[in-house]
Amino acid sequence: MSRTAYLYAALPPTKEQEERFLAFLKERYHEEFTLEYRESKAYPGGFRLEVGAEVFDWSLSGRFRQLKDALMQAIGESGDIIPLLRTRLDEWTPKAIAEEIGTVISVGDGIAEVSGLEHAEYGEILLFSAGIRGMVLNLKRESVGCILFGDESAVSEGSAVRRTKRRAGMPVGERFLGRVVGALGDPVDGMGEIMAEGYRPVEAPAPGIIDRQPVNKPLETGILAIDSMFPIGRGQRELIIGDRGTGKTAIALDAILNQKDKNVVCIYVAIGQKASSVARLVETLRSHGALDHTVVVNASAGESASLQYIAPYAGCALGEYFMERGRDVLIVYDDLSKHAVAYRALSLLLGRSPGREAYPGDVFYLHSRLLERAAHLSEARGGGSMTALPIVETQGGDVSAYIPTNIISITDGQIFLESSLFFAGQRPAVNVGLSVSRVGGDAQTEAMKRASGTLRLDLAQYREIEVFTQFSSDLDEATRLQLRYGHGLMLLLRQKQGCPIPRHRQVFTLIAALRRVMQDVEPDEIPAFTEELLTYLEHAAPEIAEHIRQEGKLSPEDKARIEALSDQFLSDRKARREG
Amino acid sequence: MTKGVIVRVEGSVVDVAFEQGKLPRIREALTVRAGGRQLVMEAARHVEGNAVRCIMLGGSEGLARGMEVIAEGRTIEVPVGEGTLGRMFNVLGEPIDGGEPVETEERWSIHRSAPSFEEQSPAVELFETGIKVVDLLEPYAKGGKIGLFGGAGVGKTVLIQELIHNIATEHGGYSIFTGVGERSREGNDLWLEMKESGVLNKTALVFGQMNEAPGVRMRTALTGLTMAEYFRDRENKDVLLFIDNIFRFVQAGSEVSTLLGRMPSAVGYQPTLAQEMGSLQERITSTRSGSVTSVQAVYVPADDLTDPAPATTFSHLDATTVLSRRIAEQGIYPAVDPLESTSRILEEDVVGKEHYTIARRVQETLQKYKELQDIIAILGMEELSEEDRLTVARARKMQRFLSQPMHVAEKFTGIPGVYVPLKETLKGFAAILNGEADGLPEAAFFNVGTLDDVYKKAEKLRTGGK
Repeated sequence: MSRTAYLYAALPPTKEQEERFLAFLKERYHEEFTLEYRESKAYPGGFRLEVGAEVFDWSLSGRFRQLKDALMQAIGESGDIIPLLRTRLDEWTPKAIAEEIGTVISVGDGIAEVSGLEHAEYGEILLFSAGIRGMVLNLKRESVGCILFGDESAVSEGSAVRRTKRRAGMPVGERFLGRVVGALGDPVDGMGEIMAEGYRPVEAPAPGIIDRQPVNKPLETGILAIDSMFPIGRGQRELIIGDRGTGKTAIALDAILNQKDKNVVCIYVAIGQKASSVARLVETLRSHGALDHTVVVNASAGESASLQYIAPYAGCALGEYFMERGRDVLIVYDDLSKHAVAYRALSLLLGRSPGREAYPGDVFYLHSRLLERAAHLSEARGGGSMTALPIVETQGGDVSAYIPTNIISITDGQIFLESSLFFAGQRPAVNVGLSVSRVGGDAQTEAMKRASGTLRLDLAQYREIEVFTQFSSDLDEATRLQLRYGHGLMLLLRQKQGCPIPRHRQVFTLIAALRRVMQDVEPDEIPAFTEELLTYLEHAAPEIAEHIRQEGKLSPEDKARIEALSDQFLSDRKARREG
Repeated sequence: MTKGVIVRVEGSVVDVAFEQGKLPRIREALTVRAGGRQLVMEAARHVEGNAVRCIMLGGSEGLARGMEVIAEGRTIEVPVGEGTLGRMFNVLGEPIDGGEPVETEERWSIHRSAPSFEEQSPAVELFETGIKVVDLLEPYAKGGKIGLFGGAGVGKTVLIQELIHNIATEHGGYSIFTGVGERSREGNDLWLEMKESGVLNKTALVFGQMNEAPGVRMRTALTGLTMAEYFRDRENKDVLLFIDNIFRFVQAGSEVSTLLGRMPSAVGYQPTLAQEMGSLQERITSTRSGSVTSVQAVYVPADDLTDPAPATTFSHLDATTVLSRRIAEQGIYPAVDPLESTSRILEEDVVGKEHYTIARRVQETLQKYKELQDIIAILGMEELSEEDRLTVARARKMQRFLSQPMHVAEKFTGIPGVYVPLKETLKGFAAILNGEADGLPEAAFFNVGTLDDVYKKAEKLRTGGK
């Protein structure tokens, strides 16, 4: 039995033409065909031949599209574009390319069901009418389910869908630095097209166990509380978690600002944020001169759930591009709770069943496969790194909710910001007891490690005793001293936003504080006292400061010298006051 | 060998149609080539239309309908025996350490049945871990099953690594480490540490980490377990099996459950949760021929111990160590909750009268303090009777004395780890209980090893630490 091919054209084929069609079909499919003619005015200057799910579009528009595809491919390649285009044009002849074309069965809520497209791949990008793109997420027996990236009102039932044979991807390249782009890499800052150097799939496997090396180089945030107690290393994933309005984004932003002139590429991915907040953030980066080493990927609250879903993966793909070139990358995902919500919306709309808090079963995998892509690559893989700072918003300070604990169990530590501390003036509002950095200790500079000592455990114990003794009137001297000491330390850790503290100043402050030099200074005077002390130390021991700044090293003798100088300063001050 | 074609793909679940009567059996491994990669899937059930519904052991990206799938009539088989030692594997038993291919005499299927009733050997002998809170309050048994329960970031992995450090290095026998759904970075750290400490050549490692597809995380535990079973059954050895983290096995199952077409059960878990856990846990056991001492970390989602996954795991274990966020918050590590953790061998005739009495009295004191805490919070210490005040003071010392610096945590605390022999642990707690240590400040008990260290620290505190 022979198959039937359908020919759509303005006029019926002549006998000779029909034989040529049949010969072509036989050669291509190794089967006998019968040709059925259907009149159509839709293909001026050509025809359309349908064989099963495959379509040969030999109309004028079809041939033009082939030309466009060939040219677009050339643009995707690197190198000088004009001669490339010229060769492409010279080489180009229209070919009989079989194209698979599907039809939209249903569309709504950002999801479309498409028939046909027999060979569509899982994860492939499909092209809908009016240039809307979609991604295949379900391959069913009779149809294909996909999510739409863009305005669904432009897609209608019965309209055509073509394959692109490309997986969802992100254009990447050096020229993205300093730019603001959408979730699929298109510029949104009105500064013109970005010339990409490559195209990477948004979903990529994370580096394997053997492709990594331990996190051992610091990525300093310039925030004393973090660099001393919860140090972040290159290739680490450190979660920033807290209620709304506790300064989560501020910490991430400070970390980006502190990377200025340190040759670290920063990527800020905004998911479900207010567009105006993102604009303000970009302005802050620009005014501090930090935009040049930063890319902002924005899928704001107004964008579809599918764009918000894909944005962090796109940002990550961009980060990997730099990481694989041996660069150090810092990527901020702000925030993953909104990302989880977007994914929950998609999953429920795709008909997958809900679990805890109505999130789908694979919401852990959603984030684990994203965050595992941040790594410190082994020397064999170029030694680059990607440090991730995901942000998660909690409700009522509850860190043990589902999404927060999921992400805590993925990251290498968390910085927990507490609103009670924030409003009590303790900013950054880091909760010392619940925050942790699992790997950063290895990555701390020697100087910092030597200086910070047992600061974290001291403070955690201080907090416990503070609670335990809050109703006690008669405290013994040791406890009273411990409370006073702890309180002083907390005051020292206060730091204004946007004022990173250089490494040597952090080290000096810690040495003096842990020596209990500030023990007898009145709480109000601590900031001024510290400032004076630091200036004094910088003058008295400039070589040590320089050594810490350049090498990050501090010998025991140097430490003893700083301690002696601090004691000296304290007694001088006392003498000055008394005299 | 039979061939089929892909007819449906949804997430990690793929339907493959075969000719009538030629369907592969459930649990058989199928392979497909997509985008230049060889992918493996496992048949999970037969469905309408001459098809098998399979779980992908890898990403689904790049699969398309009509692709050819090959069934070779075998389940997943992994290498077993001496050749696996010193090596690192993925779920399929392929080496992932960049070394030579592994050649062993035998390959075993990862699906096996549990030892029969008559082969069971009950565990009764205590073995020392050098961790005070464990040895005193929830002692581990040789050949027993141990669970470390804890929410995110309370120190499960650190504790399991400390146990590897303290036991595996002393143990002398073979160890299998199975990383299920945890961080790849930890895998790398562990690999390098084992290389350095020299235990690697007695250890086989298997990893299916959290970046991997759910199918991989579902099967990795079986791969590691099969390697341990070989040593137990064939070579009659005593084996240590570490699994970090068994919860991820359940979680992976729930990720694919609804895609397989099952109705969700409580909290969205798979309806087959108890059976899946049971058939895995029953394989991890000691028999008359050899023993498997297993240490399993169990993640507690949302800090909720009543969540179906940890709740189902509890009953399979001989000793449970529960880590608590409340204790971690006070800076006390290991953050073991002394009143939630239990052991079946904390009995007078197993651990001896002295140990038993001290342990129970420590628990009583801590329980009393817990009850008094509310009163203290409302009325303050002053309102307590003299006796209660003493109880509180001693309980607070005990709490602190239950902490100790750990070897593997040295890199973030800067304090070298200690191994505390059981004898010393008992001596220390006896001293607190009978009032010998009443004169020492509370802080002296924090983060130290033995009672002698407490005295030293007290002296240092008295002189101001300078």
